[in-house]
Amino acid sequence: MRELFRRLNYLLHRRQHDRELEAEMLFHREMMGKERARNFGNTLILRENARDAWGWTWMGRLFQDLSYATRVLRRSPGFTFTAVIVLAIGIGVNVAAFSLFDMIALKPLPVRDPGSLIQFQRRSPTRISSEMPYPHIEFYRTHAHTLSAVLAVMEVPPVALDNDTQPAHLSFASANYFTELGTRPSLGRLFDPVLDNKPFAPPIAVVSYTFWQQRLNADPGVVGHVLHLNGKAVTIAGVLPSNFASLGADRAELWVPILQQPYIIEGSKILSDSQVDACHMWGRLAPGATAKAAEQELLTLTGQLQKVDPQGVWENEFILAFPGGHLQVMQPAMYQVAAMISILTLLILAVTCANLGGLLLARGMSREHEIGIRIAIGASKRRILRQLLTESLLLALLGSLAGLILSVISLRVVLMLTNAPAWLSAIPDWRVITFSTCIAFLAAILFGLTPALQIARQQNRKPVARQVLIAAQVAASCVLLIVAGLLVHAMQHILYNSPGFGYQSVVSVDPQLAQHGYTPAAAGVYLAQMESRLREQPGVLSVALVKLPPMGHRVARISTQIQGKPVAIFPNSVEPDYFRTMNIPLLVGRTFVPAEKHATILSESLANRIWHGENPIGKALPSDDPSSTPRDIVVGVVGNARVNSLSDSDATEQYWPVQTDDMPQMSLVIKVAGAASSMGSIIKSISQSLDPKLFPEIRSLQSLFQENVATVERIAASVSLVGFIAVLLAGIGIIGLVAYTASQRAKEIAIRLALGATRMQILRAILSQFALPVMLGLVAGIVIAGFASSVLRGTLYGISNLDPTSYSAATLLLLFILVIATVLPARRALRVDIVKALHHD
Amino acid sequence: MPSLHLTCSLRHSILTPMNRIPVISMPSGALIMLILRVLRSNSLHGYAIAQRIHVLSSEILQVEEGVLYPTLQKMLLKGWVTSEWGISETNRKVRFYSLTAAGRKQLQAQQSDYDRVTEAIQAILRTA
Repeated sequence: MRELFRRLNYLLHRRQHDRELEAEMLFHREMMGKERARNFGNTLILRENARDAWGWTWMGRLFQDLSYATRVLRRSPGFTFTAVIVLAIGIGVNVAAFSLFDMIALKPLPVRDPGSLIQFQRRSPTRISSEMPYPHIEFYRTHAHTLSAVLAVMEVPPVALDNDTQPAHLSFASANYFTELGTRPSLGRLFDPVLDNKPFAPPIAVVSYTFWQQRLNADPGVVGHVLHLNGKAVTIAGVLPSNFASLGADRAELWVPILQQPYIIEGSKILSDSQVDACHMWGRLAPGATAKAAEQELLTLTGQLQKVDPQGVWENEFILAFPGGHLQVMQPAMYQVAAMISILTLLILAVTCANLGGLLLARGMSREHEIGIRIAIGASKRRILRQLLTESLLLALLGSLAGLILSVISLRVVLMLTNAPAWLSAIPDWRVITFSTCIAFLAAILFGLTPALQIARQQNRKPVARQVLIAAQVAASCVLLIVAGLLVHAMQHILYNSPGFGYQSVVSVDPQLAQHGYTPAAAGVYLAQMESRLREQPGVLSVALVKLPPMGHRVARISTQIQGKPVAIFPNSVEPDYFRTMNIPLLVGRTFVPAEKHATILSESLANRIWHGENPIGKALPSDDPSSTPRDIVVGVVGNARVNSLSDSDATEQYWPVQTDDMPQMSLVIKVAGAASSMGSIIKSISQSLDPKLFPEIRSLQSLFQENVATVERIAASVSLVGFIAVLLAGIGIIGLVAYTASQRAKEIAIRLALGATRMQILRAILSQFALPVMLGLVAGIVIAGFASSVLRGTLYGISNLDPTSYSAATLLLLFILVIATVLPARRALRVDIVKALHHD
Repeated sequence: MPSLHLTCSLRHSILTPMNRIPVISMPSGALIMLILRVLRSNSLHGYAIAQRIHVLSSEILQVEEGVLYPTLQKMLLKGWVTSEWGISETNRKVRFYSLTAAGRKQLQAQQSDYDRVTEAIQAILRTA
């Protein structure tokens, strides 16, 4: 420790120390007397050796190398500029991807002590739910000692605000929500953990900053005003700050204490119902407690809960804890996506570096003279190598800086376009800056090491390195192009093929009967009236009930095994008219008859998986438990309609007839002639006349479908962009290499031409050395893409991840670009002036 | 008798002084021990240290400057000696080195190590 201090002290005063040493040695020399002083040796070197003891020599050398590198780069601005731009693209893509990941998963939320925030998930070996029943949350809140606070948040469908046509987004949160997050109001007050924690407290709402600005005209006297949510009066208590960060990126515009929920959603018994997963549960770890300890304690508590409430707890239920202090609570599946994206972006970096490596090799030729002189006057190979690597590092750092700027700009654009929360900023934090520096070092090694080794050894005439670089570039761009091709093909597939159901002119209506405490009988009556009233409307073609409406908020999924293979079944309960309304073709058999029991309809894909093309009508489904009677008999087979998993081609569907018990959960789908948008007001007025408490959620399937497609379009567009950048870089790099090779062989070409060789023969001679690496690169690229793309399977909308069209299109396109990139410069080389070339030196 | 020279190999081989002296290796750390020993009673400047060692060894050991100053720097870094500016016998300003407490301890440790090793070697030479 003291030694380090002395070292640093020396560093700070090194000039003074050096002068002292010089004076001391001079004295020594004088004392030695004239004749022996000759033996003293070179004072400068002796001084250098003495200085070595302090261990700072490397720094001096580094500065030397850096200043030399700066001079070298400044002397060839064209090369430096190209290299920095190329690097900026390659590194910028990586930095942008990392910044995005940082923003989503690493940056702590700007709330009090984000590190101790935990999100909980309800699990059992067969089931997963990110929400849990409110009574359970209450139970955990009262009994858990590892948690200093438990927060509950209930997200609900948009509610009607006063008489506005535009609904408002509402979330219910426990009364301790804002105090736990340490949020300060920008106006008025937020929830009071005591006052608002009573069911009959005066109803209040807290509004978001944007809501206050856009819908309340930024009125400074807004506190105390009364709003009507679903017709219920609430007083505005306060306004949130503009940079408020909610947990789990909740986009609510209005926040109401959770105990007011039965007041706003009249008739709702959800707060006392332990069968409905209603709320997100968040917790704050007590000081000294770990997430693992909390999981353990909650497991014990779940066991106790089961004794009190055997119906509400799943078999083998346990609770998982995830770090909650980030924008997105990361699940293992998301890490997989992140890994895939990072592979793609690293491929870009690989192309960039291979490209630049080729450029540096070519440059090494022209620097042969300079390096030769430096070696002749005594520079060691290690010193030369270090000098060259320093140059590469300087280039990489410059490129990294430019890449960082590029990434910040593109991130700003993304944040602007996606309507992101105001607290997110594109300004890089220390993680992003560290990442950019690290990736600069990585890039410097990738593109600088091989050329530096060759140049330092003075043997850069070996073409092997160049061929490896070409193969690497081709392979990496091949992978990128294939992945881009797959995504583009998937996008076209979804755009130009029917998804198996008709979404045009269909609206789904969710009256939220269960949330309003309807009994099955009352719900049945309500829905029957609603249906008959709707059928009377002009333009309505058909109406049907469905439990899980297409592209709705809720999705059910059964993971099971059929003949040893895993199958995902999406179950649904529907009325007989559902298939006609959704335009799903009935292939074999019949649809349900009203009030039918123990019947089921399968999608074609599911029927084929079980019976492999045999007629399934009248057969019972193979079941794990053969004793369960009576078994459901297949009455019909319909076309595949992945209404709740558009992108997953492996999904299958199974339908059951609607049962009375399902009634409170049912939604309606309505097919109309003409535009679906006209239905909104009609449905609202029918609903008002049937039960003024209800505010059904009305959604057009067409717009839901388009939103879905837009996401795929965006992904495909960005991957294609990245792929084309890579191919462009590879193309430019190969043009450069071929041109360089041709210019090296200008004399040979001229001699051959003079001796009567045809241009074709010479072209072949030049290009033959590129054929092998290009082929190897292509093969490697295709193989890598084949493995890497298996991650994409679930998102390809029915396209196989080994889809031959995408592979051949990508490979052919790449080959085409490569042929142009090689033939163009080679042809130019053929147009040499033979006389001039032979007269040269 | 040929005189024993303490030298170190120079990094820049092309710039090595022309008058090379045959190098006879010395147990590593021996120079440090000798410097510590001559500084034990009083503080000395660099030239005086070299002279002292030369004289005390009956002119057998000669400390070369190329080794002396790096070694002194290393000892400064280790905290075994400190330096102070003073006036030499020839009335020149020069740096005097003196032993620190850590240096005294180091000397003791090295000396006892050295004694043990030489005794062991002597024992082998006598009996083997």
